Amino acid sequence: MAKIVVIGSGFAGHTAAMYLCTKLGKAHQVSVMSNNEKFSYIPSWVWVGVGHMAPEKTVFDLGPVYRRMGVQFVHAAAREIHPDSGDQYVVGEEIGTKKQVRLDYDYLVVATGPKLNFAGTPGLGPEAGYTHSICSLPHAVKARDAYLEVVEKMKQGQKQRIVIGTGHPGATCQGAAFEYLENIHKDLVKKGVRQQAELLWLSNERTLGDFGVRGMQVKDKDQILHSADFIEAVFKDHDIHWQTQTGVTRIEPGKIHWENYAGEYGETEYDFAMLIPQFQGQPFKYIGKDGADVSARLVNKAGFVLVDGIYDLPYDVLERNPDAWPSAYQNPNYPNIFAAGIAFAPPGPISKPHITKNGTSISAAPPRTGMVSGVIGRVVALNIVDLIKRGRMTHHERMSEMVAACIASMGDSLWDGNAVVMIMYPIVPDVKRFPTESGRDLFVSLMEMGLAGAWMKFMLHYTFIWKFKGLPGWQIIPE
Amino acid sequence: MLLSDKYKKRMSSKLFQFWRFIVLNIKILRAVDHSKRS
Repeated sequence: MAKIVVIGSGFAGHTAAMYLCTKLGKAHQVSVMSNNEKFSYIPSWVWVGVGHMAPEKTVFDLGPVYRRMGVQFVHAAAREIHPDSGDQYVVGEEIGTKKQVRLDYDYLVVATGPKLNFAGTPGLGPEAGYTHSICSLPHAVKARDAYLEVVEKMKQGQKQRIVIGTGHPGATCQGAAFEYLENIHKDLVKKGVRQQAELLWLSNERTLGDFGVRGMQVKDKDQILHSADFIEAVFKDHDIHWQTQTGVTRIEPGKIHWENYAGEYGETEYDFAMLIPQFQGQPFKYIGKDGADVSARLVNKAGFVLVDGIYDLPYDVLERNPDAWPSAYQNPNYPNIFAAGIAFAPPGPISKPHITKNGTSISAAPPRTGMVSGVIGRVVALNIVDLIKRGRMTHHERMSEMVAACIASMGDSLWDGNAVVMIMYPIVPDVKRFPTESGRDLFVSLMEMGLAGAWMKFMLHYTFIWKFKGLPGWQIIPE
Repeated sequence: MLLSDKYKKRMSSKLFQFWRFIVLNIKILRAVDHSKRS
């Protein structure tokens, strides 16, 4: 009987666990260790953050789902991984009791999601800092409450400046921040106070519409439409100001300090700010048989798990080598350890990085959306099933071969809402297969805004919660 | 580039957007089907 341990119960980890237990059945033991006993449908926290969705509608208890599927669930925070042959186990700290828990494994999936590194920017974040976040449910609730206070001030006639974007020169997830900004815009219009607000998009992107994926180009009748032009048109229409090529360096009450591409230092005042922090890998201890620190064999400096990618290539080389991206998400030193979703170390950025004259790297990190995380979770699970049943892996999918469908909400109303629907293929441009300026398939890639997108985003919320609850037909619903 | 009035009307037209809802879902499912081959 093989023992498979999955650390994490988000899009990647939960997807992996569901496929593992379904394909392996009771002959093998699938365990999930997670510090969260609820599954979180993160995409809807944008709506929680503007007070348009109750927080409890975005989560559900994992215990009953795992019991029904035959998965052992351990509610603990993983702390140590012992990967050496003959002595492979994970040590966690049980939530509540703080008791040590040990799970032995034959195969391990690290699917932890990011460590939200608010500390990487002094003054960032709602706990030790002055800005807000929608990256966790408690933070989204806090952001909502603070946002509604700002709305009250606007109703009293006060002008308020709202700044949304990235809170670190190397942050990612610009898409989520964009959604939050546009939902705020729509909400303020509906509340009749939009003219009291100055909205500013502050981001580390090279251009508007970059989103950490080098932007998008799509065919629009006979022309090529660039996401930069598209987002600029949207922002102009919505009276949203923007400042890109900017890395936030520290925050104080009412003031954001930044450095831009030109190496100039500046500051921007704010009344309410939601800025995405830098992501890092979870800081586990990786301990060898003799007690030695073996983390260099497993993770990079940021704590993301090394997999079967080609690392340390200069950007101009990486850009021309889409095969440098991993396909099996397997650690090269410990072949029974896999990493899925945000936990794996990407070989580099998708968007072109920038180093200022002061030596600051202002470079959007590559995003891993829910869909991508789910696909990788599935690939990893099926490869582990292959190894157990056949002794060799048959599933491979690089991000340079993967399609991503993203729906960026710009207002949740089913009557007059809005969203941008994007299909990006492949996620990581491949100029060898698609010798266009974008390196993507212009027949498949798509970017369209409208009410239909709002309906689709709403549908996704309920469809995916159905899927992640493992209810009938869950496998038919794509990741 | 500016969002034209025609574009904005299409964005909010219920009938047109219902058509786009069907088309976009089909496009996404077809694109995703490629991914399922892995």
